[in-house]
Formats: sequence, structure tokens, C-alpha cells
Amino acid sequence: MNGRRLNPATWPLTLKMPILVAVLIITIAAIASNIVLMRLTETQKTSLLGLTRAYLDGLSIAVMPNVIRKDIWETFDILDRARKRYTGLYARYTIVALKDGSVLASSDPLAFPVKSPVSADLAKLFPNGEELVIDYKTGKAWAYRALKEGNSLVGSIFAEIDISDLLQARHEILITLITLNSILTMVFVAIGYMAARRMVRPLALLSSYVERARQGEVNLIPDKRLPGRGTEFGDLFRRFNAMAKAMNERESLSTRLAEEEKLALIGKLATAMAHEVNNPLGGMGNAIDTIRKHGEDKDVRTTALNLLERGLAGIANVVRAALVTYKGGNDPGRMTHGDLEDLKFLIYHEAGIRRLQLDWNNALPHEIGIDETMTRQVVLNLLLNACAATRIGGRVTLNARVSDETVIIEVTDEGPGIPDDIAGQFTRPRIGDLSKHGGGLGVWTVGTLVKRMGGRIEVGGDTFRGSTLTVILPIEERREFHAVA
Amino acid sequence: MPSKANAHSLCGCVNRRAFIGGCAAVLVARPARSAPAETVQFGLTPVFLDSDAELLAALRRYLSERLGRPVQLVKKRTYQEITLMLLSEQLDAAWICGFPYVQYRDQLSLLAVPLYNGKPLYQSYLIVNENNDAKGIDGLRGQTHAFSDPNSNSGFLVTRWLLATMNEAPDTFFSRTFFTYGHRNVIRAVSSGLAESGSVDGYIWEVTKKTEPDLVKGTRIIRKSEWLGFPPVACNRRAKDTETTREITKALISMNTDKTGKDILATLYLDGFAREDPALFDGIAEKYRFVQNSIRRLG
Repeated sequence: MNGRRLNPATWPLTLKMPILVAVLIITIAAIASNIVLMRLTETQKTSLLGLTRAYLDGLSIAVMPNVIRKDIWETFDILDRARKRYTGLYARYTIVALKDGSVLASSDPLAFPVKSPVSADLAKLFPNGEELVIDYKTGKAWAYRALKEGNSLVGSIFAEIDISDLLQARHEILITLITLNSILTMVFVAIGYMAARRMVRPLALLSSYVERARQGEVNLIPDKRLPGRGTEFGDLFRRFNAMAKAMNERESLSTRLAEEEKLALIGKLATAMAHEVNNPLGGMGNAIDTIRKHGEDKDVRTTALNLLERGLAGIANVVRAALVTYKGGNDPGRMTHGDLEDLKFLIYHEAGIRRLQLDWNNALPHEIGIDETMTRQVVLNLLLNACAATRIGGRVTLNARVSDETVIIEVTDEGPGIPDDIAGQFTRPRIGDLSKHGGGLGVWTVGTLVKRMGGRIEVGGDTFRGSTLTVILPIEERREFHAVA
Repeated sequence: MPSKANAHSLCGCVNRRAFIGGCAAVLVARPARSAPAETVQFGLTPVFLDSDAELLAALRRYLSERLGRPVQLVKKRTYQEITLMLLSEQLDAAWICGFPYVQYRDQLSLLAVPLYNGKPLYQSYLIVNENNDAKGIDGLRGQTHAFSDPNSNSGFLVTRWLLATMNEAPDTFFSRTFFTYGHRNVIRAVSSGLAESGSVDGYIWEVTKKTEPDLVKGTRIIRKSEWLGFPPVACNRRAKDTETTREITKALISMNTDKTGKDILATLYLDGFAREDPALFDGIAEKYRFVQNSIRRLG
């Protein structure tokens, strides 16, 4: 269950779509914010460089003559005034150094006393005479300007610049971007969620109809619930309805076909029954003649009456079997040992004319919880097919038994085997194949009935040994319970 | 600009050379008075609280009204420049320092002396940075010292004299000295830590303490000099009896009777101007002589 929850493929569309929207927006926002901040940093750097140059230009012009004269006071006075009056740039400190690296004056004389050497760390920041070095980590920037008279160096200006306002601006923009993007993401996710819900609503409806169809109840979606024509769902729903209509038609067709098959079987059986009835009739007529002529002789009369009795019993068996098969027994929920035994009478004619040997092993209990009508129709079909397929004088075998809550009935013939496409009809009966093969109605009926009972058919055997069709039917608990009771 | 206080600037011969050079420079720069003949030229040295534009405008307006003539206030960076202009008669009068006055007492005439706390006197302060532990001048040895101007009494001469009494000179006693050309600048230099100590006009320090307490807060007084003659207003001796000079003197003396004049005096924390005897500056003159002798003695 948890595994399914963690697998995104199993998440509903209403969740996946907002997440996708959020991921896309966050990705775009992250890229856009990054670009904005990079551009801002560049702009700030350019702006800072411009301000720094202006500061250094003004300062160097002012201090140059004082540096040449090594005038401490005037240099300090300029630095001090510049610190207070240069509003474009806030220098934390500014140092004017002589060419020997000693401080001539600084804006912070306590930190950088006159004549003290300029710190090596500060001097090292400008290995190539850069004008501006920025360290965003510490929030500091340093400016440098060499003071030259002609080509000769007379001194240098060092300044540490406060860039906290730049960092603050960047921070504020970052916060603004994050806030704005978060709000936008939430808004779009909400819109995405609502849109997804709205979009999948027809899918949920369709899904419910498809599920019902899977369970055997193929209903059309009512017109009032159909989306407009030309829309994706409108077309999809109409295609579903067309498909449902076709399914219903095929279902009724298959029912009709099954009915026809049943009638065809009846016709076949009627012939067989006529035959079975006709066979003893000759003997029985002779017996009546014999009684009429020699009825006084007790022995003759007894023999003739016995013959009549056997003939009538044979006819009665055939008629009863036909009645049970096509009208149903007294209890349609239960199959009895005798229900299977009756089938023997129904195939005697078919077996007799082909001189077939019947190997009959009925090990079913007295009562068993399977549908006797459908089971008898299935087994009769298989037996008749087996009789028809087996060579003249061959053997047809029936084995019926109960194993592991199932009923197993095997019918073996000595025929040329069953072609694969026909075998497929047993295991996956499809109405479409019926029309293709035409004559496979019996096979299709067997497959359909077995499927309806929740069972299956296994096709075995080969061209040399003949075929074995094994019907495996689950014993229904209710019927089992009934049977036990 | 050499940062060391040039002891030789106190030497008369050098001063004369500077004077001649200065005159030449001024003459080259200003071959004739650019202002109309009737415009009064009044010089101001940086001893004055010269940072207040409104004060200067009020002073100019007051003098113009009282003299009935246009007045131009002339400001220069150094005492020397104003002194030279006065000596070369390019100025009708100037508010100078007591030190230039005693240096050129034979060529200058005293017009009026400001009254500070009712007296024409002020002091020189030796100040240190608030973090400096020095208790007296001895504690300043080997430190950086800011002077105001080589021709300032309170901003140079007093400390120079004090060192001379110790047989010391600024360039040997201090590790480094420099001139800021303004008493307020001395306070700035010491307060910021650029100099560890400084020589400053006590009057300026006290007034700045009232007007800019934050600036003064970074400094501490370790020595106050005796009371000395307040920086006076003087004219060239040759012009001492002219009508202009009399009018200027009268305008200064009566400043505390006029509304504008009172406002100016209030801004300057002064009580007025008074005629004083040149002997008021004998104390400064004595120090000057002592230093000169000390320099000669030390070679």
C-alpha cells in the first residue's frame, strides 16, 4: 500500500498535475531569480565601480599636491571632509600612503596612525593594481588607486567600502522574489489542482461505466451527461457509447446463437432418439405378435414380455435423459452422479453407428455443487464431438472425479487432434471468432458455458494419440454446503 | 610642507625674508587694489571663528553700515599672509594674533582688543586625545603634535616657549609635528587621533565646546597657560590716524551698543571691544624673546 503511494505512476492526475505545475514554476522561478540576481550583482558591481572611480578621482586630484608635500593635515582634512560629504559612497576608512608604503594620513587615524605601514593583507588585495575588489562573503569591498606624477609613483589610496546597502538590496530582492514566486506557485498549484479536478471529472464518470461494463453490465452514458460534440471527452464518450451498443448487440447475438446451437443439438438428439426408440420397436412388435400368436405358452409369453419391458426401459431412459438435459432437473443448483450417467444414453446412438467402445469412469459423488444443466450440456457436446472425431471402432473415454474443491471431467478421443484456432475457442471464446470459423458454434458454446461457471478447459493430446479435453469446474461453496446438508 | 615646526620661522631675519617674498607675491598677485578706493579692506585670520558664513555676512553688514562704505572681509589660509597684507597696506585693518602683533609692533598700531569674559585676555591650551594618558607636557614626549599656525601665539608660541624652558625644541621633543592652520583643525586633529596632542587657542576650544560638543569631547586639556593678550585688531602704523581707522575703531568699540553688533558678539561669545595699552601683549613679547634667545643659545 505504502509502496503504491510512493510510486508516482499510481498518483491521481489531480495530484500529479499540480505537482508538475509546482515543479515547473519553481524551476522557472529559480532560473529567473538566479538570472535577476546575477544581473543585479553585475549592475551593482558596475555601479559600485563607477562610484568608486568617481570617489578615487576626486580624492586623488585633491590629495596629490599634499602627498607630494607629505602634508599630513591637509591630506587628513580632505579625507575627513570626503568621508562626511561624499554621499555616493560610504568608505569605512580611507588611507593615503606614501610610496614607501607608510601611512601619510587616514580617515581613521586611531586605526591607521600616521607613519605606520599599510597592512600587507590590504596591499595584497591588489596584485595587478585592480581598482575594486569585492568579497561578497564578508560584505566588504576595497578600492585602490596609485597616485602618479608623470610616470613615477608618489603614493597610493586604499579604501574599504561599505557594501552592506548593496547586499541589503540584494537580500531584499531575493526575499521579494521568493515571496512572489511562492505566492505565484501556490496560486498556480491551486489553479492546476482545480483545473485537473475539473478535467478528470468526465474521466471518473467514464471509468465508472467501464468498470460496470467489465462486471457485465454494459450501460450507455445518458445523453444529458455527454459533454459537447467536438470536445475530446464528448467524442470519447460517444465512442464509448457506440462500443457499449455494439457489445450489447453482440451479447444478444451470442445468446441467440447459443439458443440456435441448443436447437441444433435438439434436432440432432431428436434423430438419435428416434433411432433409439425405433431400434427396440421392431423387436417389441415381434414380441407383441409372438404373444398374440403363442401367448398361451407361459415361457414364450414371459420371454416376449421381458423383451417388451427391456425395449420400453430403453426408450424411457432415452426420453428421461433428453427431458433432464433440455428442461432442467428438479434442483438446478445440484449435479448428481446420475445426471452424468444419463449422458451415456444420449450418445449410445452416435457411438453405436461408429462402433465405438465407451470407457466410462464416473467417480462423481451423489451430489456436487456445480450447475448440472450447463455441465451436462458441456460434457454432452464434448462426448458428441469425441464420438464424431474418433475413428470407427475406436475408443472414447470419460473420467469424472472431484479433486481439491474442483470437479474434473476428462473426455478423451482417438481423433486427429484439435487445431490450435479451435482449441483457442475453448479457452478464450470470442464472438468475433465465431463468425470467422462458422462451424465452431459447439466449441464456442462449451467455452462460454465453462467460463460462465468460473471454470476452464485444458486442451491436451496430439495428432497420434488423439485429444483429451479436461473441464475443470470450481465447486461453489453455497452449493457444496447445500450438497453436504 | 615640512611637517616639523620650523623653529627658524621665529627668527627675525627669516621673517623679513618671508615678509619681502610675501610682499612680492602679494604685489604680483594684486598689483593694485581691485576694489574701489572707498571700499574698506578688513582682514581676518583663522583665529577668528571663520566657518560661519552668516557671521561673516553679519560682520560685513555691520561694518559697512557703521562706516557708511562698502567693506570687504579678506580671509587667508595663514596668519602670515594677512600679516603681510597689513604690513604692505593692502588692508585697512585686520584681526590678527598677538604673536604677529608683537613681532611687528613697530610697524603696527593697536585699534581694539576683544573682551572675553569681560577681559581682553585668553589662554593657550595643551590638549590631548581623550585616550591619551599624559598628565602634562612631559607625557607628550615622542608623540605626534598638532600646531595651529607658526605665527599663532596660543597655537604655537606658548608651547614652543614651554619647550624652550625645558631646553627642548618641537622637532626633538615630538616624534612628528604638523600645522593645521586653524584652531578648530587642531581640535579635529587631536580628537580624531591624527595627532596625539595639540596646541590650541583656549577661547576657541571653549566656544567650540559650546557649539560642537561632540568634536571637543574627544579631547582633554592637560595644561592651560597664563592669561595673555587676546588676539587684537590692528592697522598699519602709517594709517593709525586716518579717518577710516578711527571709524573702524569706533565701530568695534561701540559694537556692544548695536543690535547687529550684539548678535555678532553673542555668536562669538565675546562681550565687546576695548582700547587697550600695547603693554597687554608684553607677556607674549616676553615669550617670543625667550624663544629667540633659546634658538640662538642652542645654535
